[in-house]
Amino acid sequence: MTTVPTTATSTAGRKVGRSAVPRPRRPVKAGRLFTPWLLVVPALIWLVVFSLWPSINTVFLSFTDARPLSSEAAFIGTENFRTLLADPQVWTALLNSVIYMAICLPVLTVVPLLLAVLVEKKLPGITFFRTAFYTPVIASAVVVGLIWSWMLDDRGAINGMAKSLGFVSESIPFLTDRWLLLISAISLTIWKGLGYYMIIYLAALGNIGKELHEAAALDGAGAARRFWSVTMPGVRGTMILVGILVCVSALRVFSELFILTNGTGGPGGEDNSLVMLIQQYARGFSGNLGYASALSLLLFLVTLVPMLVLARLNRKGAQ
Amino acid sequence: MQSLTSRRTSRTASRTASSGATRRSRVALLGGALAAVLATAACTGGGGGSSSPTQGASQAPVSGSVTGEITLQTWALTPKFTDYLNGVITDFQSAHPGATVKLVDQPGDGYSEKVLTQAGSGTLPDVVNLPPDIAYPLAKNGLLQDVSASDSTLDATYVKGAVDAYRYKGVTGVFGYPWYLNTDVDYWNKTMFSKCGLDPAKPPATTDELFTQAATMHQKCPDDYLMSRKPGLGDFTLAGVGVLNNDGTKFTFADDPKAVDLIQRYATAFQGKLMPSSVLNSDYLGNSTLFTQGKVAWTTGGATSLADFEKNNPSLKNNVAVTPALDIPPLYIQGISVSSKSKNLATAQAFAQFLTNAKNQEAFAHLVNIFPSTVSSQSDPFFSQDDGTAQGKAKVLANEALKTAKSLTPVEANAAMTTFLDQQIALAMKGDTTPQQALKTAQDKMNSLLANS
Amino acid sequence: MSTTVADPASLAEFGRATRPRRRRAPWGEMSTREKVLRYVLLVIVLLITVGPFLWQLSTSLKGPGEDIYTATPTFIPSEPTLQNYFSVADAIPVWRYIGNSLLVAAIDVIGNILFATLAGFALARLRWRGRALVMGLFVATLVLPGESTIISQFLTIKSLGLADTLLGVALPGMIGTLNVLLMYNAFRQIPDEIDQAAVVDGANAWQRLRYVCLPAVYGTIAVVAIFAFIGAWDDFLWPLIVLQSPDKLTLTVGLQYLQGTFSNDQRLIAAGTMIAFVPIALFFGALQRYFFRGVEEGGVKG
Repeated sequence: MTTVPTTATSTAGRKVGRSAVPRPRRPVKAGRLFTPWLLVVPALIWLVVFSLWPSINTVFLSFTDARPLSSEAAFIGTENFRTLLADPQVWTALLNSVIYMAICLPVLTVVPLLLAVLVEKKLPGITFFRTAFYTPVIASAVVVGLIWSWMLDDRGAINGMAKSLGFVSESIPFLTDRWLLLISAISLTIWKGLGYYMIIYLAALGNIGKELHEAAALDGAGAARRFWSVTMPGVRGTMILVGILVCVSALRVFSELFILTNGTGGPGGEDNSLVMLIQQYARGFSGNLGYASALSLLLFLVTLVPMLVLARLNRKGAQ
Repeated sequence: MQSLTSRRTSRTASRTASSGATRRSRVALLGGALAAVLATAACTGGGGGSSSPTQGASQAPVSGSVTGEITLQTWALTPKFTDYLNGVITDFQSAHPGATVKLVDQPGDGYSEKVLTQAGSGTLPDVVNLPPDIAYPLAKNGLLQDVSASDSTLDATYVKGAVDAYRYKGVTGVFGYPWYLNTDVDYWNKTMFSKCGLDPAKPPATTDELFTQAATMHQKCPDDYLMSRKPGLGDFTLAGVGVLNNDGTKFTFADDPKAVDLIQRYATAFQGKLMPSSVLNSDYLGNSTLFTQGKVAWTTGGATSLADFEKNNPSLKNNVAVTPALDIPPLYIQGISVSSKSKNLATAQAFAQFLTNAKNQEAFAHLVNIFPSTVSSQSDPFFSQDDGTAQGKAKVLANEALKTAKSLTPVEANAAMTTFLDQQIALAMKGDTTPQQALKTAQDKMNSLLANS
Repeated sequence: MSTTVADPASLAEFGRATRPRRRRAPWGEMSTREKVLRYVLLVIVLLITVGPFLWQLSTSLKGPGEDIYTATPTFIPSEPTLQNYFSVADAIPVWRYIGNSLLVAAIDVIGNILFATLAGFALARLRWRGRALVMGLFVATLVLPGESTIISQFLTIKSLGLADTLLGVALPGMIGTLNVLLMYNAFRQIPDEIDQAAVVDGANAWQRLRYVCLPAVYGTIAVVAIFAFIGAWDDFLWPLIVLQSPDKLTLTVGLQYLQGTFSNDQRLIAAGTMIAFVPIALFFGALQRYFFRGVEEGGVKG
């Protein structure tokens, strides 16, 4: 049996340095030095082989003028980055992505939680509802496009209703106006995200001890009160994780805008997202890989910002 | 006619949306994927696919005996044509004892990604079904065999436009045997014509009539539309605009007032509400879907399209008028290319030739509304016999149209370029910018992209 | 050596002691008013979410004489038929494809449950040198540009000799970063006192995982299983790239053959999509009850 004096003392030393009382929520030290590594190594290997290593190529390529299938990629320094900073379409796409995130983040961290609370209790038929709420996540894009165009088209359901009720005389241009199109795509993202994040919350709710609810109920706390004092603290960490996921997928939005604009990015490309631009430049056998890689790198840096903020929030909250 | 790309290309593009949407984490990023290939190639000294390009130098003629095993890769033809393809394979194998052909068919969706991975990892099948635009980059990088090196009868055997589609600027040779051809005809919804004050017996025969009749329709039925498309590079070609300079280094359309007029005309029509607003997004449903739904009264499509319309919406049966394309019809070509890395090059080339010979092409074209690219088949009475049905008429019209059909979009214009042009044209149609400005912006951008490629 | 080996039975006992066993919870009882309110809300959300599914179902049941693309959606088939489902089975070897997909999904589900749990546990509950770095790597992977990985992944799979095999299809999906983070998050929510007590009892890492922590995160494991299953089941491009032999195709790739170059029958495609949906629904339905297992059952049985 090997103990791990060095690790133990050094960590203990640091801990004492900061506070005399052992903090709660501090992981307990591992029994053996190699145990934690043994546990993470499989996942780590996967990460390096299938994700990290291929991504390093992207960094390399962003400084070249690489073309598909051609082995003659020349190093062109920061030219790709200078081009993209001067490209108004990149800035438009960036703005769209940020707006996307700003709206999706609050809605998709809160509404799925409420939905999870709604389907949490055992009621007759609740399995059916849980499954049905999840179906948008797995619905085929073609069908989703059809259904949404029925709703949003000039001659679609919403415009038909608005016209017959006399709210508007002209159709609302949900799918052609720069901002309305963006809002429509955001609604589509939210609609698809409800079920997805709902089940993450459901599991988190399940992990909260029932006894807490019971104790609160015995204390005479009502449903709303219990939600704030028991449920919310219980899912706090999960909310932050969901927040991170929402930010990442909002900044990387592709399919919703693609479906609603038929891949065009809207008139003048005003409804492009960064991933749509990457697609546009990298697609096909004659794509511009260097430039697309530079865009990928920009996207990576942009995504890092909200992640770091939320991760920091997480650490603060945990203390 | 919508976007004037081949039926398959446009269909695949529209379905890219579906793959992207369901698999957001692994978006089908072709080029991005290539990034990895390149880097790997750089590290291992050639990942298998990329060899020295053959620019300028002709390949040596293929010699050797026709034996050994080869793989044929077709695109979206099984299970419907499995029997036909296996029949051809059996015939070939009995003519060449010792040769075996393995058939692999790829689904319609994701084909260019699949071919790209195969090319990048050195696993391109010996004989591959490739349209000219996918064959082009492979040929440029030396991955395809110049079939003219050992077959001097190409120009005599196949119709000229089809062979020329596999000849590329900057590379010497022909990089595929032409296979089946198709073109577009016009389909009109007769019920909508009658309902909205138009004569279903006299659908527009010229572009002028198209705009006039669209206006008539809009007056009678403000919620119905005749037109649902916006112009693209192919329309410039049709209008007699020079799209690309002769050596393929610069786009020139914006300098031609005819191009400006064309866009202006569509812009006026759009702002006069002669088209649904969704055309700005290239019809997110596609104008054939709008046609099937009965939301627009006109669509273009190949000779096989009518069967699809009627299958999906049987109420369209006997309700569709077919006429020839309004202008020069577009030519859609499929071909059979041979991998230059094939271990049994002689066998592969012999089979590619066999599959595309007149007899086998005619047999194929009798099964479905497509057309052989072999010269001797052009006199086959089958293709000019109208059996009285709308589908039969579509076949005859398409066959007739093929005599004048031309490829309208240059292979140099890649996806990024056409997307950018499309966005600018939409902006001009919407009235947010002038046609001049839109075309100028698009051309500048496209030229800078072209200069980099 | 003996100091680190705790008696499993006592640990299980311990788990039970800290988590009350299931009993009827007063807060779980619902008034009729609340029940009605809940059902009203459930139905509203159902109406919002169920559209595409209904369209697919009704299209797959429509007869050859019915229009598919109508100006307003019609959800009730006027000539209902099951023929489309039989036609799918005639056109492609559906059962074989389902079998292939199930195999890939099973590998990915097991891989994710196993490895994401282990990694999540080590990151959340153990203290070790390099933990922060590894954690950072996982989080960073979440935002890495994933667009560029597919051909590189294929070359890896090919060099492992796994091109055109189902194992090659399953391999990259065996561990998902998201799943590791989900497990990490779940393990982190377990109150420290429970864990500390187990350490005082002399439990080693494995025992703490097995008897203390694992029972508390069944719900999240169920979520991980569902994500892994759906990820493997729905993927199209990757299996398309890896596979070549017709008999090895997975269901999503195989279903594409319903959409040939010269034929495009929406009824068949919808029927195929419904067939692909059934296993997902079954898997989801079977696992979602585990969302609430962890806390209610507590500890282990024996």
